[in-house]
Amino acid sequence: MRNYFAQIGAILWKDLRVELRTRERLITMGAFAVLAAILFNYATDRVGVSHEDIAAGLVWMTIVFAGLLGVGRTFHLEAEDGALQGILLSPVPKDAIFLAKALSNFVLLYIVALLVVAVFMLFFGLEVGSSAGMIALVIGLGVLGFVALGTLFSAISTGTRMGETLLPVLVFPLLAPVVIYGTSATSQFLAGRPVTEAEGSIKMLAAFALMALFAGSWLFRFVVED
Amino acid sequence: MSSKKIRLGGTALAMIGLVWLGVVYWMSFFWVSTEVTQGVAQRIFYVHVPAAWTSFLAFGLAALTSAMYLWLRDERLDRAAVSAAEGGMVFATIMLATGPLWGKIAWGTYWTWEPRLTLTLLLWFIFLGYFLVRSSTENPEKGKRHAAVVAIVGALDIPFIHLSVIWFRSLHPEPVVIKAEGPTLPGDMLATLLMSLGAFTALFLGLFLLRYSLENLRAELDTRSRHASV
Repeated sequence: MRNYFAQIGAILWKDLRVELRTRERLITMGAFAVLAAILFNYATDRVGVSHEDIAAGLVWMTIVFAGLLGVGRTFHLEAEDGALQGILLSPVPKDAIFLAKALSNFVLLYIVALLVVAVFMLFFGLEVGSSAGMIALVIGLGVLGFVALGTLFSAISTGTRMGETLLPVLVFPLLAPVVIYGTSATSQFLAGRPVTEAEGSIKMLAAFALMALFAGSWLFRFVVED
Repeated sequence: MSSKKIRLGGTALAMIGLVWLGVVYWMSFFWVSTEVTQGVAQRIFYVHVPAAWTSFLAFGLAALTSAMYLWLRDERLDRAAVSAAEGGMVFATIMLATGPLWGKIAWGTYWTWEPRLTLTLLLWFIFLGYFLVRSSTENPEKGKRHAAVVAIVGALDIPFIHLSVIWFRSLHPEPVVIKAEGPTLPGDMLATLLMSLGAFTALFLGLFLLRYSLENLRAELDTRSRHASV
């Protein structure tokens, strides 16, 4: 068991170190998030609708789009130099590889997601106030479910002719629960509602993340086998 | 069962289904009484509900055979999965086409964000992904495995999609047949519905068997042409 976690940690650390040196995905996802927020400002009617009413939805859509941008490149580096073969041939269980990949995506996307919230606070004058911790939790659970499905389907789309263009078609219909519960809980917290009202949504987000992690670590082996 | 028997069985079932469907159309147009509040438009119910039932049956069968394919790696299971998924797409399209036609008259709008509508539309897209994945790999074996994974994740995701879309208020008519107090549908309407359920199921199973034997023939053709080239 300790060995298992050490293997996950090794792959996770490798991915994060590559990212720290190149900063490719963080910069593109972060820039995308800020630019999307700027465009949203002009795409919404400031007079007609107050920003508090639609902010939760915009935050989540930005996270999902930015996330696809980053998650789609999960196996890009590996695919280029046949490095994926190397990892797959190493005596690490396939589910450990999957979990490590999903976790490294989680770290990156969670940073970007918190940046998205900060950008919206700055540009749209959102008041997060005392529920900042709960919003961070909701976004964390949603992002966890997202990266679990995203990592699995990124492994699938990398191996196809259509590549990354296939990813949104595969992932969007499956992500509906994350967007629905995430938006619902976030807007309740932004409106200053008590925790009990969003409890159901939070539990569903947690259950979804668990299901997605379980499905991913079980099915990943069938995706990468040759 | 030999593939010829499957083909004959499929043809027979599909023919029975078609004739049966003719009877259902006659019943729903000329025999069954008109519903009081919804009027003539309610008759679309006898196509819409059985199409929904059949597509869910088909998608369920596709997910089940996909899981078994990953486990046992029997080519026949994959052929069954793709045949069922294709049938599911056809009947889901019928359901998605007939629903808005009725909705325009009963609700005054073609589309609302009603749970069952949204669920079906998302399900349709999940299986669109199934076919896209299947056809976009260089190695057909890989495409089969990837598609099976899509079908299984789709099946696991369905309860979540179902619960989440219910989060929004429901406008869809409540079930009138399967509920605790027993059916509240008048006798002749229930009879027409049950007949239609039978016809759609028979038609689907017939088409499924035909499609399955077509896949078998394709695989055989493939092996033979490979042998011939060697």
